[in-house]
Order: sequence, then structure tokens, then C-alpha cells
Amino acid sequence: MQRRSVLLLGLWLTLIFGGVQAGNGAQTVWSGLVIANNVAKPEPPSPELIYLEETLKDWFGYNQYKVIGQSRKVLVTGSEDWLAQSKYFSLHIDSKEGNDKTGYRVNLKLFQESNLLLEWEAKLSKERPIIVKGPQVGDGQLLLLLVVQ
Amino acid sequence: MKTFEEKWTAWIDDELTGHDLAEFEASLPDLAAAEAEKRDAQKLGAFLKEHLPCRAMGNEEFFHHQLRERIASETAVPTSQGAGGGRVWWPIGRLVWVGATALAIFAGVTFFVMRENPATDQSQYLSQILNARVDPVVSPNATITMFESKEDKVTVLWTEGLRSLPSEYASK
Repeated sequence: MQRRSVLLLGLWLTLIFGGVQAGNGAQTVWSGLVIANNVAKPEPPSPELIYLEETLKDWFGYNQYKVIGQSRKVLVTGSEDWLAQSKYFSLHIDSKEGNDKTGYRVNLKLFQESNLLLEWEAKLSKERPIIVKGPQVGDGQLLLLLVVQ
Repeated sequence: MKTFEEKWTAWIDDELTGHDLAEFEASLPDLAAAEAEKRDAQKLGAFLKEHLPCRAMGNEEFFHHQLRERIASETAVPTSQGAGGGRVWWPIGRLVWVGATALAIFAGVTFFVMRENPATDQSQYLSQILNARVDPVVSPNATITMFESKEDKVTVLWTEGLRSLPSEYASK
């Protein structure tokens, strides 16, 4: 009887540990629509942009980066699609099958309301962001960001 | 109590005797016509025996075997005991333990496979832009340039010439 209990305990520990390990394999893609502009009193960036702030300043030269739309998607099957949108823009992301160790293959489309502005295909690697310079909006710039976290 | 048909058949085959024969012949409405019919039937029987002999069965053993098998299977009493006397089905307890063991083996193998491919914090590869295009109708003069910065560890898709939009488009 005692031997059976030990076996059962071992079984459950193995299953739980295996489940935790499998859960660690899933990855999250953060996608954001960001307006970059120069203002007198810039607001601090949102948490997702903190580690990218200096890079963004180096590339685009603005002092404020404000998220106007975002989404966070946990990739489970690797073949999924989702949307990040603001009032006028939407970024449609379609993760394709055939992902490997080097990254996730995604199709992206930027719409301004119903107009397709930009379309691209990319291979997203972990913690290696893709930044897309979109159209000029007022005195600022629309930027699109994708990060596998 | 035999029916008329049975008595008639027995009479045709000359199997009625004594009191039964006398009683049956007395019950016939027209004995002469019946006698004529009996003769005809006997002639036909003799003719058929002469010209249609019973054919010998070429695969008699096979049919016998099939019949014996069929009879044996229909008369057999269903039991849960095997031919050797051992139990065919495992008890529920053993099935549960076998299932649990199989699950544990599966989980163990999954764990070791996952350990062989640990998820690193950062990929050694930069993200790549494989291809890009702008709508030539909406932005006919737009250009696209791709940059991969190993220093900043980012990939940048740089567009120029996209149609500018008013500031209200910056709202959330």
C-alpha cells in the first residue's frame, strides 16, 4: 500500500513538472502601435517600451513614444492570427505554420481604417524586436513594434 | 390423428395397411379416379428415380466440417475463461496502474525532450523582414528600406513617402 502511494505521488509530480516545462515553451508576442513625437514635457514610456526607448530615440529622434494600441498574444499552436488596433489604425498579424528555432514566421498588414497601407512578412526572433516606420501623423510618426517576449 | 394429406401420401406410397387402408379407401368419393391418380404418381416417381439419380457431392468433407464448426459454435457456452484457463481481462485496478504508468512515462519523456531544447532568453538571430510592399494606389511614391542592427539588436523597416495623415489619427 505504501509503495503504491509513493508511485502515485511520483506520477503526479512528474505530470505537474512536465506541465510546467511545457508551459514555459509558449511565448508571448507583444505588438504595439506607437505615436512618436516631440513635446515640451514628454511622458515616460509604457513598460513595454522602457528597454527600447534609447534605441527608438537613436533611430527616430523623438522624445516621446506613446502607445495608442497594443495586443499581447500567447502563441500556443504557432498558427494563429490576432489584431492590435487604435481608433484609426489596425495591425493584423498572422502567424504561419513552419516556425522553427530561429523564430516565428508572421504576415503583417497595417490598415488605416479599411485602407491597406503596408504589408510585410517577417521572421520574429525572441527578444529581437521589429520596428516599422509608418506614415507621418500630424507632427509625429506612427511606429509599429513587434517583440517576442 | 393423421390429416387427409398424410393419409393420401401414405396410400400413394402403399404404406397404409389393414383397418387404416380400408377406412381411407372408404372415405374416398371416387376410388377408381383415385386409383388412376395413384398409378400416375407411382409412374412419375419411378420415372424420376430412373432419370434423375442423386448426384454425389464432390466436397462432402468440407461441408461436414463447416456444419460441425457451426454446430459447435452455436452450442458453446460463452465464458470469460480462455482456452488455457487464464483470465482474458485484467482487473480494473491493474488497468488503472498500467494507464498511470504509461502517462508517467509519457510525461517523463516530454520533460527530457523539453530539457534538450531549453528556451533561451534571447535568440542569437535577429528578426528578419522577408518581404514588404506598400499599396501603390494609396502611396504611389513610397519606398521601403530594411535595416538589421546587430548593435541595437533590432530590425527596422523604414518607409518613406507614405501619405501623411492629420493629427487626429494619433488617438487611441
